[in-house]
Amino acid sequence: MMNTLRQSGTLLGFLAIVVFFAVQLPDTFLTARNLINITQQLSMLIVVASAMTIVMVMGDFDLSVGSVASLAGVVAAVMFAHDYPVWQGVLAALGMGLLAGLGNGVLVSYVGILPFVATLGTLTVFSGMAFVVSDGKTIYGKDIPAEFSGFARGGWAAEWLGQGMKIPNLTIAALLVLILVWVILEQTTFGRRLYAIGGNREAALLAGLRVKRLRLLAFGLTGLGAAGAGLMYAARVASANPTQGSGLMLDAIAAVFLGMTMSRHGEPRVLFTLVGVLMLGILDNGLTQMKVDSYIREILVGVIVILSVGVAVLTKRQR
Amino acid sequence: MNGQQMEMTMKKWMMAAALAGAGTVAQAETVAVITPYLAQPGTQMYVEGFEAAAEEKGWDVNVVDTAGDVAAAISRIEDAVTQNVDAIVINVDPAQVAAGLIAAEQAGIPVVGMDAGSDPLLAANITSNGYAMAAETAVYVANRLNGEGTVVQFVFDAFPPVQIRGVIADAVFGNYPDIEVLDRITPDVSDGGIADSRAQMEAILAANPDPGSIGAVWAAWDQPALGALQAIQDAGRGDEGIVIVGMDANPQARAAIAEGGNFEASMAQDFEGIGRTTADTVGRLLAGEELRASVIYVPTQLITAANAGE
Amino acid sequence: MRKAYAGVPALDGVDLTLHGGTIHALMGENGAGKSTLIKLLAGVVPADDMVVERDGRAVSLTGPTDAHDHGFRFIHQELNIVPSLSVAENILLSHPFPRRFGLTVHWKRLRAGARDALGFLGADHIDPAAMAGSLGPGDRMLIKIAAALVTEDDGQAPCLYVLDEPTAALSGQESEMLFAVLARLKGQGAAILYVSHRMDEVMRICDEVTVLRDGKRVAHRAVRDTTKRTIIRDMTGRDVSDAYPPRTTPIRDTVVARVADLHSPHLSGIGFELRAGEILGVTGLAEAGQSALLGLFTGREKRRSGTLEALGQAAPKSPAQAWEAGIASIPRERRGDGLMLEMAIRSNVAVSHLNAYGFWASRTREASDTTEMGAKVRLKSSGPEQPVGQLSGGNQQKVVFARALLVQPNLLLLDEPTRGVDVGAKFDIYTLVRELSASGCAVILTSTDLPEVLGMCDRILVLNEGRQTHLLPRGTMGQAELLDTFYAKEAETT
Repeated sequence: MMNTLRQSGTLLGFLAIVVFFAVQLPDTFLTARNLINITQQLSMLIVVASAMTIVMVMGDFDLSVGSVASLAGVVAAVMFAHDYPVWQGVLAALGMGLLAGLGNGVLVSYVGILPFVATLGTLTVFSGMAFVVSDGKTIYGKDIPAEFSGFARGGWAAEWLGQGMKIPNLTIAALLVLILVWVILEQTTFGRRLYAIGGNREAALLAGLRVKRLRLLAFGLTGLGAAGAGLMYAARVASANPTQGSGLMLDAIAAVFLGMTMSRHGEPRVLFTLVGVLMLGILDNGLTQMKVDSYIREILVGVIVILSVGVAVLTKRQR
Repeated sequence: MNGQQMEMTMKKWMMAAALAGAGTVAQAETVAVITPYLAQPGTQMYVEGFEAAAEEKGWDVNVVDTAGDVAAAISRIEDAVTQNVDAIVINVDPAQVAAGLIAAEQAGIPVVGMDAGSDPLLAANITSNGYAMAAETAVYVANRLNGEGTVVQFVFDAFPPVQIRGVIADAVFGNYPDIEVLDRITPDVSDGGIADSRAQMEAILAANPDPGSIGAVWAAWDQPALGALQAIQDAGRGDEGIVIVGMDANPQARAAIAEGGNFEASMAQDFEGIGRTTADTVGRLLAGEELRASVIYVPTQLITAANAGE
Repeated sequence: MRKAYAGVPALDGVDLTLHGGTIHALMGENGAGKSTLIKLLAGVVPADDMVVERDGRAVSLTGPTDAHDHGFRFIHQELNIVPSLSVAENILLSHPFPRRFGLTVHWKRLRAGARDALGFLGADHIDPAAMAGSLGPGDRMLIKIAAALVTEDDGQAPCLYVLDEPTAALSGQESEMLFAVLARLKGQGAAILYVSHRMDEVMRICDEVTVLRDGKRVAHRAVRDTTKRTIIRDMTGRDVSDAYPPRTTPIRDTVVARVADLHSPHLSGIGFELRAGEILGVTGLAEAGQSALLGLFTGREKRRSGTLEALGQAAPKSPAQAWEAGIASIPRERRGDGLMLEMAIRSNVAVSHLNAYGFWASRTREASDTTEMGAKVRLKSSGPEQPVGQLSGGNQQKVVFARALLVQPNLLLLDEPTRGVDVGAKFDIYTLVRELSASGCAVILTSTDLPEVLGMCDRILVLNEGRQTHLLPRGTMGQAELLDTFYAKEAETT
C-alpha cells in the first residue's frame, strides 16, 4: 500500500503540475506546438539523463557529463572551423566522449576512486580541455556549417498535428537515445548485470560478474551519451563554447533522482528518468509563460526535487 | 442597454481608470526580455533603462535570465512565442539563438536586439556606432599630434565589434601622410588584456628609446590602453607627452583619464540610453511603424579629463 | 502481543512470561516471529497491540530508550558495533561517557568501565583501547555482550537480558565464557530470554522453552521435561530427523581438484586431492582460514607458492573465471556478499547464469529457470518476482543455492552454509548437498558446527591459524576428539 503510494506520489505530483498549468494557461499550454517545443527544449537533457541513468543503475555517479558535453561541442566546432566535413567532426566528438567516459571508468573501477571524487576531478579536467581546444572563445558564425546547425532546426513534417507542424530532429534524436538506453538496460543481459551490481556490488562480484569491466563499459556509454548531448546543444545554438554544457549535469542527476522515487525499489529506470526530465522541463516552460521570475523558478525546481525525494524516503521508512 | 450591459460598461471604465498613465483601454502590451548575461554590469544597465521606459509606457515586462545558458535562452524565446507576447527583446548573439528567432518570425512576433548584433531575423538592433566611436578617438589622436608623428595601435580583429574599430583607425591614420603606424599589436586577452598589452608596450618602448619617437597609443578598448599607460610610467617616460586613448570608458579608464596623465581620452557608450531606445523602437514596431534602418545607433560621448568624473 | 506487517500477521496473540532467575529459550524456525517479538520488546518497531507488565505494573515501550530505562538489555544478532571506535567507546556507547570537568571525555575512567564489563565476562584478553574494527567476529560479539552487562550509575541492575543467537559468531571456548556469565546473571536474579537455533545449547543451559510457529505460540515447556525431538516437532510441525542424510552413492575416482604444498597470505601447508562427489569439510576455530581456503578457488586469496589445479585448469584469477570453469560458491555473509536484497528472486538466481542467455535478456527464461531451481531447493516464496529481502534467512540461503545449482557446477564451495538457518531449512540444505554429491559434484564445506562437519563430510581438513594441521577420514573420531585437534599446532596424522 505504502509502496504504491510512494511510487505514484511523484507521478501524481507531475500530473498536478500539468493540470495546474493547463488551467492557468488554457490557450497556450496544452497545445501541440507547445508540447513539441518542450520536447525539443528537453532533448539534450533527455540524452544526458538517460546516459546518467546507466551509471546510476550501478549506484555510481558521473559528475563530468556537463564538461564532456561542452568538450564534444568544442571539438566538433574546431574541426568544422578547420574545414573538416561534418561527419568527421561529429565522429571525433563522439569518440572523444567515449574516451572521456572510459577514462572515468578506469579511475572508478580499476583504480578504485569513489565516483564522486573521480568524476569531480575529471569534470575540471575536461572543462579545462574544452578551454584549451577552443582557446577560451565561442566558435560561431561561418565556422559552424549550415548542415550541422540546420539539423537542429529541421524536423519531420507532421501535418496531422496541425498546419506547418513538424517533429523536431532533436526530439527524434533524443527519443532514439532513450529507446536505445531502455533496450540496453531492460532488454539485454548487460543491463541485468548492471542492475545486479547496483543491487549489491560485492554479491555481484562473487556471483561471477566481471564487475570492473562492466563498470568501465557503463561509464564509457555515459560519456558517449554526454558527447551526443553536447553535439545537439552545439547544433541548437549554432555555436560552441567551453562552458555551454555545464548546466546539464545537475538537472540530469535531479531527473534520475525524481525517477527513482517512482520505481518499485527505488532503483533508477530510464522511463521514469524521462518523467523526471519532463517534470523539470514543464516547470521551466509553464513558469516562464506565467512570467514567474527566473530566480524564483530555480528555487521552486529545487524545492520540488527535495519534496518528492523526501516524501519517497519518508514513506519508504514507514514501510 | 439593459442593466447587465450597463454594469459591464461601468466595469470597463473603472478598469481603464485604474490603468492610470497607460492611456489606453486595451490590455497592457507584454514584452519578454531574454538574456543569458544579466549578471554582467552592462546588461543590467540596458535592462534598467528598458524597464524604466517600459514602465512609462505601461507595458508588462518579463525579464528572463538563463544564467549563461544560451540553449535555455532559445527555449525561453520559444516559450515567449507560445505565450504569444507582443514583442521580444534579446541581449544575446542572434546567430546563436536563430532557432528561437525563427519560431518568433513564424508567429509574427517582432524581436528587437538590445546590443545583440545585427541579423536578418531581428526587426532592429539598438547599439552604439563602433565606426563612429573609432573615428572619434582616432581623429582625437591625429589632432593631438598635429597630423605628424608615430602611433602604436592595439587591435583585436578576431572579435567583429572590435575589428571594425581597427579598420576605421587604419583609415584615419592612413589619411594623414605624416602619421606613421609604428606597430599594430593584437594582445593576448586570456588574462583580461592589461598584462600582455603592458609587456608588448615595454618591448616597443625598448625598441624606440628616444624621447618623441613614440607619439601616441591608440587602443581599440580600454584594457590595452591601461597596460600601455603602466609600461610608459614604469619606464619613466610619462613626461614625453605620449598620448593614449582607449574605448568604452570603463571605471578604471575614467580614473586614469581624470588624473590628467598620458591616458587622455576614451569613448563612453550610453547603456541606459540603449535600453530606452530599445523600448522606443519596440513601441514604434507595436504601433505598426515600418523601420527603414534595422540598426539604430545611440549617441556616444568622448570622455576626457574635462568630463571623466561625471 | 500482536504485530502485522503489510496485513500479514508476524505475531498473533503471543503470551510470554519470564521469571527472574531463569533462562528462557525462545525457539522457532526463521520467520516464526522471534525477531519480531524481540523488536517489539526493544521498542524498535511499534506493536499493533501489546501489553507488557513488569512486577505486575504496566510498562510502556514506545522507543528504544524506554526499554533501556526499564532495565531491558538486548544483544542483537547483527554485529552492530562501530568499527572505527575503540572497544571501550563501543561498550559504553549507550551510556553517557565519563567526563573530566564536565567537558572532555575522561578516557581513563571510560576504559576502566569497559575493562570492568569485559572482566565480568571473563574476556580480559581484549584491550579496551583497541579499535573495534580490528577484532575478529568472536571478540566483536563479546564486546556487544559486555556492552549489555554495563550497570547503570544508580547501581540498579538490569532485570531482563535478551540475547539473539549470541553464539553464532563465537567459538566453543568463547561460548563457554558466555554460558558462565549467563549462569552468574541468573544467580543475581535476572531474567534471560535466549534465542538460538542450537538445540544442544538450549538443552544444556535453559530452564524453560517457548516455541513459536507462524507467529503463534505452539508450546511452552520446562526444558528438563522435554527432548530435542519434541521441540523440533513443535517448531516444524512435523517429524524431522535431526540426523544427517547418509551417503548413498560412492565417491568417484576422477580427481576434481589437486592442491599441493600451497602457501598464501593467510594459509600455509595446504595440500589435498578432491574427487568427484566427495564432500570435504574444512573446520577449526573461528577465523582459522576457512574462508581464505575457499578463496583460493575464486581468485580472492592469492597463491604465494605451491600448486592448485581445479577441474583440469590452473587456479582461477577471479570469481568470474571460477564460475565459468564450473566452480560455484556460496559466500558466508549471505546478506552482505550473497544477495541483492531489494531485487527479485529471479534476478538473484539468474545472475550467475546470464552468460548462457546470450546478449538479450529473457524474463521468461529467467523466471522458468528460477521456478525450476526453486522447486529443487524447496524454496518457499510467493513467486519468482518476490524481493529476496522479504524471505526468511533459510529461504534466502536457498535462493543462493538455487543460483549455484542453475549453473550445474562440478565443484561447489560452501562457506558456513547453515549459519542462521532454521532446522527445517538446514535439513533441506543437507539433502541438496547430498544430491549434488551423488551427481558427481565435489563439495568443499566450511563449518564450525562440529556435528554438521562430522555428519556430512567424507574427510575433514583442520586449520589452525591458517595452517593445515590435520586431514582426517570420516568416522575416525567423535566430537570431543575433533575439538581437541583444533588446538593442536602440529599435524599428527595426514
